[in-house]
Amino acid sequence: MSVHAGMEAAPARNWPGLAAGREVALLVALVAVALAVSIVSRGTFWNPVNIRSLMVTSAITAIPATGMTIVILTGGIDVSIGSMLGLVAAIGGLAFEAGWPLPLVAPLFCATGGLLGLVNALVILRGGVPPVVATLGTLSIFRMCVFLVLGSNWITAIPPGLTTIFIATRIGPLPMVSVIALLLMAGAAVILRAHRGGRHVYAVGNNEEAARLSGIPVRRIRLVSYVLLGVCTGAAALVQLGQSPLVQTSTGTGFELSVIAAVVLGGTELAGGRGTLLGTLLGTLIVSLVTDAIVLMHIQPFWGGVVLGLIILASVGAGHLGQMRRQEVI
Amino acid sequence: MISITLSGIVKNFGGVRALKGVDVTISGGQVLVLLGENGAGKSTLIKVLTGAIRPDAGRITMGGDTVEFRDPEHARALGIAAVYQEPMVYPHLTVLENIFAGREICNRFGMVRHQPMVERVRPWLAALDLPEAVLHRPISTLGLGHVQLVLIAQALVQEARVIILDEPTSILSRAETDRLVGIIQTLRADGRAIVYITHRLEEVPRIGDHVTVLTDGRVTGNYPAREVTGETLLQLMAGRTNPAPAAEASAEGAPQAERPMLSIRGLSHPRYFTDVDWDIPAGMITGIYGLVGAGRSEVAMSVFGALGTRAGTILLDGAQVRPASPAEAMRLGIGYLPEDRKRQGIFAPQSLEGNLTCNALARFCRGPALDFRGLAAEAAQMMRTYTIKAIGPGTTIGTLSGGNQQKGLFARWAALPLKVLILDEPTRGIDIRTKQEIHHFIRARAREGTAIIVISSDLAEILALSHRMIVMRGGRVVDRCAGTEMTPERVLAAAIGAATSSSEPQPQRQIA
Amino acid sequence: MTGLRIGRLVLLGVVALLVLGGFAAGDVTVLSGSNLSSMAVFAVEVGIIAFGQTFVICGGDGGIDLSVGAISGLAEVLTGMLIRSGSPWPLAVLAGVAGGAVMGLINGMAATLLRIPAIIVTLATMFMFSGLALVATTGINIDLTSAPPAFLAIGQGKLLGLPFQLVCLYLPILVLLALLQHRGVFGRALYLTGTNALAARLAGISVGRLRATTYVIAGTLAGIAGIIGAARLGTATPEGTDQANLISIAIVVLGGASIFGGDGSVLGTALATVVIAIADYGLSYNDYNPIFQAGVIGVILVIVVLAENVLRHRLERRAAAKMEEGTV
Repeated sequence: MSVHAGMEAAPARNWPGLAAGREVALLVALVAVALAVSIVSRGTFWNPVNIRSLMVTSAITAIPATGMTIVILTGGIDVSIGSMLGLVAAIGGLAFEAGWPLPLVAPLFCATGGLLGLVNALVILRGGVPPVVATLGTLSIFRMCVFLVLGSNWITAIPPGLTTIFIATRIGPLPMVSVIALLLMAGAAVILRAHRGGRHVYAVGNNEEAARLSGIPVRRIRLVSYVLLGVCTGAAALVQLGQSPLVQTSTGTGFELSVIAAVVLGGTELAGGRGTLLGTLLGTLIVSLVTDAIVLMHIQPFWGGVVLGLIILASVGAGHLGQMRRQEVI
Repeated sequence: MISITLSGIVKNFGGVRALKGVDVTISGGQVLVLLGENGAGKSTLIKVLTGAIRPDAGRITMGGDTVEFRDPEHARALGIAAVYQEPMVYPHLTVLENIFAGREICNRFGMVRHQPMVERVRPWLAALDLPEAVLHRPISTLGLGHVQLVLIAQALVQEARVIILDEPTSILSRAETDRLVGIIQTLRADGRAIVYITHRLEEVPRIGDHVTVLTDGRVTGNYPAREVTGETLLQLMAGRTNPAPAAEASAEGAPQAERPMLSIRGLSHPRYFTDVDWDIPAGMITGIYGLVGAGRSEVAMSVFGALGTRAGTILLDGAQVRPASPAEAMRLGIGYLPEDRKRQGIFAPQSLEGNLTCNALARFCRGPALDFRGLAAEAAQMMRTYTIKAIGPGTTIGTLSGGNQQKGLFARWAALPLKVLILDEPTRGIDIRTKQEIHHFIRARAREGTAIIVISSDLAEILALSHRMIVMRGGRVVDRCAGTEMTPERVLAAAIGAATSSSEPQPQRQIA
Repeated sequence: MTGLRIGRLVLLGVVALLVLGGFAAGDVTVLSGSNLSSMAVFAVEVGIIAFGQTFVICGGDGGIDLSVGAISGLAEVLTGMLIRSGSPWPLAVLAGVAGGAVMGLINGMAATLLRIPAIIVTLATMFMFSGLALVATTGINIDLTSAPPAFLAIGQGKLLGLPFQLVCLYLPILVLLALLQHRGVFGRALYLTGTNALAARLAGISVGRLRATTYVIAGTLAGIAGIIGAARLGTATPEGTDQANLISIAIVVLGGASIFGGDGSVLGTALATVVIAIADYGLSYNDYNPIFQAGVIGVILVIVVLAENVLRHRLERRAAAKMEEGTV
């Protein structure tokens, strides 16, 4: 008996093929949803306006979804990014109102976001507060800050340049915001794949104990992931002003839900260590397609939530059903 | 060449003296085989050597200079690496990434460069007989045998000068063992020091240059590997075993000719055990001996309804049963005291009373409400009967000593009418006095008529307690004996397979 | 009694008095009967939901219910629609409560049978339930001002000068749940499960069934809370009890429960509810925005958990030094 037979014979316990399989399944799901949309709308859905809207919405979701993927890969989570977005938009909006030029304000958005992400990171890592509880708390704290900053005022003095640059400008068929999102995802994917820091992210999520023993700076990686998510959220706050140039106290409410839904749908496991940005991209597309289509087809927008919830349960549940059979107690 | 000497190493855990002054010499270019049955102190010694724990007394010198390992990282940096049976890996990362985790070769931008890493590892691939293609597969797709080789590769890449292999062949097939032997020879020729822990006596002359036997925390033998016989080693490993208690135990009435209380036939589980037959009579203590990984706990858990089986029958008092959950098993009259009291047994932050009465909650129900006075009385009674030393039933069990915790776990089954009680490592990690107390309780329980099963890796204990013995190895039953047949040599030999040299295939286990 | 941290309860009592005193110092009318009444009414709905959250979190293994707000909304919408369509109001109420139980059952089964992490399950069901509520009402609140007065009395009535829902619903529920938790088998088994689920299973406790039951309880209580809210306001809002997620979790943690399970008590939750209610009410009395109130609760939540952690680390370090144990 060849010694190598042992290798081939060992069944792929964690079904690595399934990782690629997951992305294929998502692609199939995406196509299925697109088909369903076409049928229900009798083909009228796919007009340039709708398509452009879809591209913009998905890009705005995809940018923070990239950061969220990294956070979840390390085993953490952040449910406060909706309020984060609102707060960043409020502060940035005030800067616009004060007449600051765009080249100065744009980095301000990202920096503020990063700072808020740092706050989350410190509460979680230094304070030892579990991520869910911590970010649930900052969710309301940040929102309160939005209120403190804005009161009941709206900020409407958003320079039209934002819309011009991010939405109207196109490279090929894609609006600038989509290009930015894709570039960001591609860059992050490269780092996750090929950069030492990215591999360490996976290591931490796979086996935190071993990572620590190997000298990998576990805390630093976690901290950076939250800050990065903040930066991404800040960027999203900026570009979404191109789509709706208005900041009010409720800006961003509920945004974290679509982002987390997209990432979870994309196959990133909440426990960490497993997930790809390609999956997140596909998840984002599905989530955006479902929510956008429902609105644009004048179906009651509220069905969006129902469908989304069902999709999440079905996809995560199906994945677990496969593992269920091998459950042992020991 | 490297030379490490451990002198007078002492290590205590609470009331347990794990190492009582151990001297070991490790030299480059040599293979040192470390022998000893479970509980002899091998793993504690290894933890001291790898810097995972600090000795309470004694010295470690490397090349003549005294060293103190601050932590495992420090020991690793000094060139000491260990490959364990249950390796810590990153399941979703590739083999190459696992090897270089934390020590990736990067360019100045931090981008990982695979080519140099492959080249670093390539010289060893041939020696380890690993095809290069395996480097790029997720490590979770590899069988444990190959994971072991990967970890050896990792140690080599990190330029370890001392490589400790903890029971490496327990999960390997014959062919893989041969391959490993060859690799060890290569490493040895390279000037590295190998510390090889094993139970397989036939490997000693084959692999080792030197063999050291550990018994009960002390070095009881130190020989050149080829100058000592298997019998001598066996006797040393078996150590101090007083045959008298065994005689006493078997003299205590064996109710004969009834059918056994518990009968297992052909019980199999694809991962853990195959074709297991047990006959457990009532009123007697049956000991199940075997090495770690023999499958004893898993069989017990199956009987207790905590682990499923694919085939086989369980007969309890003549009737066939198939408990689907521990709750059901308890209703049938089967009890199980788990192996790992911290992880599977106690509720550490809860009170002693809560811990003692948790099995019997149904008895103290008046409808949905609990009879607290009854619970408290029961807990107090248990504390008295089993001399559990605590201030009161309200004490947090986590603050008690291991011995008292274990007595508490035993007490849980006190008030329940049981036909079968399975005790898994009932005295692991506790002091001698409490051990004896627990032995006393076990015998008392047996006299009441319950069929007792004791699973233990402590040879002396199990021989002293048991009326009859079943020995398991590699997931199968390999020997049965009773009365005067139960000699330490026979039991140990069966457990480690010294009696036969047949090539039984080991069950392949995947990474957990 | 397990889970009852006397120290924390006393602390909460003191804080409650302090906060109340603080507001009273600013404006004595705060202490008037009608204001205290309004304060209580404020708290009843969130407090009842917090009881359910207490059980879910106590069960351990990351148990949490983010869908409680949505459940309360869908339940009250169901009741409201039935009342509007002419059904007898007791039936409508029963349907709403039962609906809450069913929704909790969905949560429980997905979390225990399918082993989906609780965060994801309840996030998804939150989407689903709130979506359904919005679909059913097309986003418009259901006007119940013309509902039978007996129904409206649930939220607006008075008994002995005190709000009906406080006396006849909140307090009895509190008593019932406290008995269940501290005097009942269920509570004992739940503490054990939350502390060490593996050991609990090996001790014969049905861990999965127990945990699923906590979600059913949470769903039922959320339904009740929603219906009370509908009766109080005279309209059924699909959003349900406002900010229920955040506030219920904050209350539970403030009340002394560990987010990891295995301790905590509905009594602690009740006291924490009082503190939060006073703070909340005082803020809105002084015309502070609901968003501000939520923010203050967020601050309280973070600070309490932070403090608890620092304390726990100190205690653990001391205990670890005492307990030196290992296997040979």
